[in-house]
Amino acid sequence: MPLVVSAIAAAAIITPVLVVIWRSFTTGRLGFNVGLHLTNYLRVFGDKDIMAMLGNSVVYAGGSALLGTGVGALLAWIVARTNTPGKTLVELLPLYPILMPPIMKNIAWILLLAPRSGILNGMMQQFFGIETPIFNAFSMSGMIWVFGLACVPLGYLFLLPVFLSFDPSLEESAYIAGSKPVHTMLKITFPLAVPAFLSAFVLNFLRGLRSFETPVLQGTPGNIKVFVSRVYDSMALEFNTGLATAYSVVLVALSVITLYFYVRSTRFSERYATITGKGYRVKVIDIGPWKYLTFFLVFIYFLVGIAIPFIVLIVVSMIPYFDYDTFMKFPTNAVLTNYYTVMRHPSFVTGFYNSLVLSVTIALVTVMAGIVMAFTIYRTRASGTKIFEFIGTLPLAFPPLVLSVGLVIIFLGTPLYNSLWALGIGLFVAYFPYAFRNASGSIVNIHKELDEAAWVHGARWRHVFFKITLPILKPSVGGALFYIFIEAIRNVDVAVLLTSPGKEYGPVTLFEYFRVGQWAEAAAGGVIYLVVLIAAVSVAKFAFKMKFSL
Amino acid sequence: MAVVLFATIFVAAAAPAAEKAPTNEQSKDAAKPAAKAPSKEQVRKEAGSASATAAAAKAFEKVSAELYPKAKQEGNLIVYSVWDVEHLKVITDAFMKRYPGIKATYWQGRNPEIVTRALTEFQGGQPSWDVVLSDNAPPVIRAAGAIMNYETVQKDVLYLHDPTMPTVSLQVQALAYNTKKMKPADLPKSWEDVANPKYKGLVALDDPMRAGPLSSQLSGLKTLWKDDSRFNNFVKALKALNVPVHQSTSAMFRLVISGEYSICMPALLHDVFEEMHKGTPVNYNKAVPPVVFPRQAGIYVKAPDPNAAKLFAEWLISEEGQKAIDSVGRETSRNDFKSHTSIEAAFGKGTKPIPVTDQNFLEDPKKWLDANVKPIWG
Repeated sequence: MPLVVSAIAAAAIITPVLVVIWRSFTTGRLGFNVGLHLTNYLRVFGDKDIMAMLGNSVVYAGGSALLGTGVGALLAWIVARTNTPGKTLVELLPLYPILMPPIMKNIAWILLLAPRSGILNGMMQQFFGIETPIFNAFSMSGMIWVFGLACVPLGYLFLLPVFLSFDPSLEESAYIAGSKPVHTMLKITFPLAVPAFLSAFVLNFLRGLRSFETPVLQGTPGNIKVFVSRVYDSMALEFNTGLATAYSVVLVALSVITLYFYVRSTRFSERYATITGKGYRVKVIDIGPWKYLTFFLVFIYFLVGIAIPFIVLIVVSMIPYFDYDTFMKFPTNAVLTNYYTVMRHPSFVTGFYNSLVLSVTIALVTVMAGIVMAFTIYRTRASGTKIFEFIGTLPLAFPPLVLSVGLVIIFLGTPLYNSLWALGIGLFVAYFPYAFRNASGSIVNIHKELDEAAWVHGARWRHVFFKITLPILKPSVGGALFYIFIEAIRNVDVAVLLTSPGKEYGPVTLFEYFRVGQWAEAAAGGVIYLVVLIAAVSVAKFAFKMKFSL
Repeated sequence: MAVVLFATIFVAAAAPAAEKAPTNEQSKDAAKPAAKAPSKEQVRKEAGSASATAAAAKAFEKVSAELYPKAKQEGNLIVYSVWDVEHLKVITDAFMKRYPGIKATYWQGRNPEIVTRALTEFQGGQPSWDVVLSDNAPPVIRAAGAIMNYETVQKDVLYLHDPTMPTVSLQVQALAYNTKKMKPADLPKSWEDVANPKYKGLVALDDPMRAGPLSSQLSGLKTLWKDDSRFNNFVKALKALNVPVHQSTSAMFRLVISGEYSICMPALLHDVFEEMHKGTPVNYNKAVPPVVFPRQAGIYVKAPDPNAAKLFAEWLISEEGQKAIDSVGRETSRNDFKSHTSIEAAFGKGTKPIPVTDQNFLEDPKKWLDANVKPIWG
């Protein structure tokens, strides 16, 4: 049964991918059939700029993934394993930045870090007399900073369950042997979190490779060109999905290499098993006065992750226009016109309802399917299941617009086309890698002895899956559900081609404000959106005691 | 698509005069750069050519009477458009009010998304949409054979006319600037003057190697000048400015407003007006003739509701349709319709706009840029 479910999920993922790859050999410019040919690939491999752009992509994606996953891991460790004061607050603070869509962070940080008009450089000049701009949003470091911040939530949610499910005897042995807490952390705790760290790193790295908004908004003005811009040029300038796919295949190759190293580094997965058959309680480490520093670190992340950009957005949404002087005059110049405009948006209510229903459903289905696939690979004896490792991650290598074309082609002429079902399947394909990598990182941490004990006693797969694996994975399931729900409810890239006349999807219409340049209205929409989500998370956390993997 | 390629695009009012425009498309009057957004009421009082207007109105009434019963029988209209949802709603609501019994729905995306969706559906044989309402997308879709030739009966009142697709609105480019950063007297006197080295560091430049406003402008100027060496020198001089290029026109315009840059090369007139009416410190150089790009209604060759699509296209050009377009701040396409964004109102009487009419550029921007800009720009 797990094999069947995994095969269905894999088929849903691989079909659109195969369709677009096939078309890369058979189509050129849209609307023109040219028969079987290699022209697109010859153009890709004859592109003399390809290496320089790939280099930029690797630096940008690698830097962002390292920053995001590293900070995420540190936050997870602080929350799960230390006696940092203000436990409830500390648990909640790292969650809120997840709610802010990356594009909103882009806009906010550009307004903060722009060399001549940026708020921070303006303050440096006004209060400290520093004329030369210190910060530059339009640089590689500016890009890594902004996208890196967007990568933190994934690192945090992937690592938290691991730190929460540690067998403390491993650390206790180190303490008994005279090891200091920091040494123990570096030599025992962090190495055991390697699979989950690599899972999150790989995902963030692949997200960085294909991310487009940051390179367009921050990279192009800084003359930094990344590889994915070739994919988008093929679509936007040449209208050639075949060429776009051929360029995407280079990303697939990079993804395969990345995955190869990941699989290789986790091939002795038992080494990383931290959940065993022995009973234990997770031990909170007393880090002495350092606990104030860790509290400060969490608070700093909260500030840069959401508070500062959120304040910028609030002000921008309420001032007549943005420049430094007008920004600094707030609140004397505050107006609410933009909120009125957004609330009257024709698709606001129906779009929000559709996105809410779909996001909840997709999060549930995707997370369950991801766990089943990971279970199939790591916990069943079926042969050849390693191929799922590749297929399950494949959608991440394709820029969403390219992937959507494959989905449109599959659905064309079927009753699914122009229905919310098609959009749901599209979101499933797009977010499956997150659910899958999250589940595989966590399953690797569960020692096989637990399953083996059940197998020995004649248990069937469903007993092992539902009675052992799933309950142990509960913390990471909560995190993955939360993450995919948030991603899906703000998705634009996949949804845009799969929505249809008369069937709105909230974020597509709402975030259109960003795309047409109405930043003030976009900021107002973003503020409304964030307030609703923050309220929902807070109510869920406090009123319903929901865990979000905490 | 020989018909399309050789379609005689003529600029009903603008092109012949534009070619006679003063050398380097400079205005004679460099002292009138700071424009004041005219009020709608004020400009509506100005009259167009009365006979052409009357003839167009008569032709529209006739075609409307012919198409409406058939369109009503079809009952639906499906529009794909790049325009804001809020604008589409206002426009389609006005259409449905005028023609009860036709239900109009729309799907909105960016140009690449529209082209991708429309042509993928075309290749899949799907009768899934009726009309594409956009700037860059319709010619590209037409080049693939997915547009039904349809010539509007109101062609005599249009600034830009294409015998295969009705031009319902215009994209008008203006040389915008931040009024806190630039004095009118210091502004570039023409598009060509933007490349003057003294503006280095002040100009926000749209990426000329993408299908965006600057590449449209280059295409328009090349057609206007008919002088390759002048064109090449202009592109070379732009490159020599060594300023950052932007792939998002809207983000670039925001950065000009914020003071990051002083001059926007180029901005869209309706954006500039919208900001001016809000009191944003931005204005445009009235002395620099606008570059105009057609926004067309392309009717799908497999349209399930072809009569509704034709009726919609004709209605958009009619006085009533242009009012609906104007009401959301978009530029109208008629030369006799006076609105605050009309060329005459915005740039002054006798202004000669620079039209973008090169079919090679419109239908395959990449090929045109590779041939004309890439060798210089790199």
